Formats: sequence, structure tokens, C-alpha cells
Amino acid sequence: MSASPDLSIEVEDVRKRYGRTEALKGVSLEVRTGELFALLGPNGAGKTTLVHILCTIHRPDSGVARVAGIDVARNPVAARQNIGVVFQESTLDERLTVEENLEFHGLIYGVPTRLRKQRIRDLLEIVELSEWKGHVVRALSSGMKRRLEIARALVHDSQILFLDEPTVGLDAQSRERIWEHIATLQKERNLTILVTTHYLAEVEECDRICIVDHGEILAQGTPERLKTQHGYELLRVVPRTDGDREAILEKYAGRMVSENDELVMKSDGEVFVEQFLGSFGGRISAMNLEKPSLESVFLNLTGRELRDQTANARERTLAFGKRGGEHTR
Amino acid sequence: MDTARTEAAPAVPVQRRRGILQEATAVYAIWLREIKRAIRDKGQLIGGVSRPLLWVIILGIGLNPYFRGEVYGEVRFVVPYTYLQFIFPAVIVLNMMYTAVQSAISVIWDREFGFLREVLVSPMSRGAVLLGKVLGGTTVALFHGLIVLLLARFADVSLTLPRILSGLGMMFLVAFALTSLGVVIAGRMRTFEGFGVFSNLIILPLYFLSSSIFPLDPALTRAQTVVVYPEWLVLLVEWNPITYAVDALRGTFIGFNQFDPRLGPIILSVMAVIFFLVAWRDFRRA
Repeated sequence: MSASPDLSIEVEDVRKRYGRTEALKGVSLEVRTGELFALLGPNGAGKTTLVHILCTIHRPDSGVARVAGIDVARNPVAARQNIGVVFQESTLDERLTVEENLEFHGLIYGVPTRLRKQRIRDLLEIVELSEWKGHVVRALSSGMKRRLEIARALVHDSQILFLDEPTVGLDAQSRERIWEHIATLQKERNLTILVTTHYLAEVEECDRICIVDHGEILAQGTPERLKTQHGYELLRVVPRTDGDREAILEKYAGRMVSENDELVMKSDGEVFVEQFLGSFGGRISAMNLEKPSLESVFLNLTGRELRDQTANARERTLAFGKRGGEHTR
Repeated sequence: MDTARTEAAPAVPVQRRRGILQEATAVYAIWLREIKRAIRDKGQLIGGVSRPLLWVIILGIGLNPYFRGEVYGEVRFVVPYTYLQFIFPAVIVLNMMYTAVQSAISVIWDREFGFLREVLVSPMSRGAVLLGKVLGGTTVALFHGLIVLLLARFADVSLTLPRILSGLGMMFLVAFALTSLGVVIAGRMRTFEGFGVFSNLIILPLYFLSSSIFPLDPALTRAQTVVVYPEWLVLLVEWNPITYAVDALRGTFIGFNQFDPRLGPIILSVMAVIFFLVAWRDFRRA
């Protein structure tokens, strides 16, 4: 089958297993050229595995994945020329300067000298790091490092950009700034961007969203379509006493989505709310009615809120290094 | 796919060919990175300077008067050189071993911190990545070997140009082999417990067992040697490839060989080739 020119990324029934865990259970998706496409899912959903397959680090067990029309399993080197990748963890050399990191990238991708210098200058301008080009990367903030990595992924003029959790671990302000840069770059260069994230608020601006969990695609579409198809109104209430809480739980057990200090239940319009207020109006201390949001889509599809991961052995080794373990960087 | 369709797709840039020149550029990029990192690592530099000072100036001068042996009641110098001269070539090897291990550790950190991924998703071949890494480590190790050479006059080793040149050749082989070995070991390590493990488990045993700080008396027959030294020690020394690296450098710098002088360069070359090939095989699988 030949590749379609309008599609930058094609994934057909890709499966991948690590030992006993099935990381991807037959995933298929298509990303059109020039699109900002988000893979949304909790940690461990299989997003990173899919990105790793697309950027040729891992091979799929079965299925076909193509970037820019090139089969990543059959022709990884050609595929690599066309993609830029920003991994979840920083892959910068912290001991080199900002400019040296970009130079290094340009050299290993074989970008001719004059073009390389020009592009590095332009990209540093775009991500607002020109003044920092002589600084060692270790001295930069995490937000700046991320911006630098995004710039680096474009030094070889890649048309397809993979961003794996580009904003994880950043403060709200830096996150916003990263997204501004992503939007600018996408518009200016007609880039195709595939981004993974587990922050719901961030994907509202994306062209299309794909929700994954446990290695499977649960839904795909524009944010609006997902909201109308899978979303619902959420009623959040805080019961006054434990007794009130029990009473509400008993009556609305079928609608309950989350039971923390705050009870969250599905609502289906004003009738339900009026009825609820009629019987429990005096027994709650706070309440909030939410329009269908991506959060409700996510809750509906996965049956849970986005969770966080615990540290594994590898992360502990990393932490050792970051604490200034011996002869690190 | 027909050409009209390719032109219609902006996401498919013209396939750039990667020739020898591009691979060479990539090797250069990796090599340059190694050099820059080494220059900026003050700790490594301090170690590279203090180690030879300790071994040559303190240990060497301190043990110099005692460098003679008593065999069957007859006291004489075991080898016709001073102790300083004797350990000088060995300290060169020691200093290069530490550097090689350090570049091995940088492989581990590159892997753990993710920098390796930046290289692995680039279009350069794995062989080029490895060659750049090993050549970079070799250059730094050579530099650390040269630091020791600066102490030659304190050790009464006279350096002539031919000696320096052939010495550099030997040192290159040693450095290349050791750096490749370091990469092989690093590739097999799943966890990293710190530099101490490397130092105590690999560098120092190899060093002490290389006849670096004590000679196996060449005047003795094999049977006599085994009487003076326990057999296991003699065996370990003879099986240790570093022994021949030290011996080759001794032959070059002070003209003294405990083993057949042809053995050193041959074993060094074989080591360099084999370790590099093993590292290459591991790297392609990674």
C-alpha cells in the first residue's frame, strides 16, 4: 500500500509487548499534514511506547507505522531524517552550551555549515534563547531547556515533530509559554506535531485528540466532537456531614463518578439538578455544575481520573545522578 | 509512489544521501563533544594530574631504595633499573585506565540521562556513534598519558623523539583498547553503583596484576619464579592483558621487557580490535 500525501503519520494495528505487559494492543491512527495532534492518556497508557516506535527507537511487534510515508521498521534511517523528537526526559548535554548542543545536532544530521549557523540563529530567536547561547545548559531553567530541545528538534528542518510530555514538571507559566512556541512554530512552518500529554487543559487547543488507555485507543476526534459524543455535565457537591454524604451516595450510587471529599456525579440537565437540590439542597455546603469538558470525557471513557506514577529503579538511579552522584555530567 | 505525488507532499523532503563524509562529520561531532566535556570536567583533570604525582613522586621515590630482591641468600637488584624507572611506564597505563573508565561511565550516564537517545534517533549509523565515542575517549586518555610523560625527568627516564613517537603509538593502542573495553563493560551494566565499584573491581586488580609495581624476575626460570611467588599470582599476571600493555611501554621508554618484546604490540593490537568489535556488536543490538 502506498502512502497518502496528506498523511504525515500513519499507524495501522500496531502492537508491542514488553515481557508480560502488552503496551500497545493494536493501535491505528492517522495524522494529517500540518495538524496538531494530541495523544491523551494517563501515565503508562502506552503513549510513550507509540512515540518510541514512531521515532524508530523500538520496533513494533506487528502492524505498520509510517512517518512521511516511510515505514519506520523497514527504513528507520530515512525516517529519522524527517522527524524531530523531544523526549519526555531531557536529552540535552548539560555540560555543553546552548549553541554547542544545537551545533552537535546539526553536525550529526549532516546540515551544511552555513545553513546550520543560519537555522540555529533563527531558532534561538524563536524560542527566545539567543541571549543564552553561550551558557552551559546546566545553568538553564527546566522551561528554557524544554524550549531549547524543541528548537534542536528543528535544526535539521524536520517537518514532523514528536513531543512526548513537553510540559511535564514545568510551572504553569512555562507550560503556557511552551504551548505558545509550539503554536507559533506549527503555524510558521506548517509542521505536523504529535504531542502526548496527561494535562487535560492543554489539549483544548489541539486540532484532534486521541484518548488512549491500557494500550488501546478509546476515542478520537476534535475536542468539540469528543465533548458532544462522550462528555456530560458534572455536578460537584460537598456534603455537610458524613451522614449527608452517606445519604447522597446511597441515592445516587449509579451516577457517582468520583467519591473524594467532593462527590462528583453525572448530571443530565436542569431537571436532575432541581430534583437533587429539592432533596439535598440543605445538606450540602458547596456545589458546582460543570459544562461537558474533556475531563468528563476522560472520566467517562476510562472510569478514572488521570493518575500519577511511582518511582521505579531507573528513576532512583537518575535521582542519584542528579543529586551530584559521582562523575556524572 | 509516482513523482507527482511526492512533489505534492511537503512533508516528504528530498531524501538526503548519507555518504562517508557525513558519517565522518558525525564521528567528528561526537569526538568533539567528548573532548569538550573532558576539558570542562575539573575533577577528571585533577585526578589525571594528582595520580601520577602520587604514584611516581611519592610511591616511586619512597620505594626506590628497596627495589632489590634476595634470592637464595644472594642480594641483588632484580632488574637493572631504579624503581622510579620501573613503575613510570606502568603509571602511564594506570592514568589511561582511569580515563577509559571515565568515558565508560559517561556511556552509562548518556544512556540513563537520555542523551544517547538524541544520538540514536539521528540518522548516523551506530558504528559511527561508537567510533566517535571511542576515539574521543582515546584522545582524552592519550592526553592523560602525556601528563605522566611530563614527569619523565623526575623518574630518570630520558625521552628521545623516536621513543616518544613509538611510545605514542603504543599508548594509542592501549587507550583505544581500554576505552572499547570500558564501553563493553558499561553496556552490560544495568545498574550503576558509583565509581568506587569500577575502581576497586576493575582498575586496581588489573593494575596490580600487571606486574606494574613488582617485576616477575626475568632472571629466574619459570620454576624458580613459582617458588618465589605463589603460582596463582604468576598465572594471573601472565593472563592479564594489561601486563603486556605495561611491558610494551616499558620496552619503549626504558628498554626493558619481561616478556618477548614482540608480544606487547601484538597483544595490544588484538585487544584493540577485539574489544572494539565486541563493543560494536553490543551497540548494534542496543
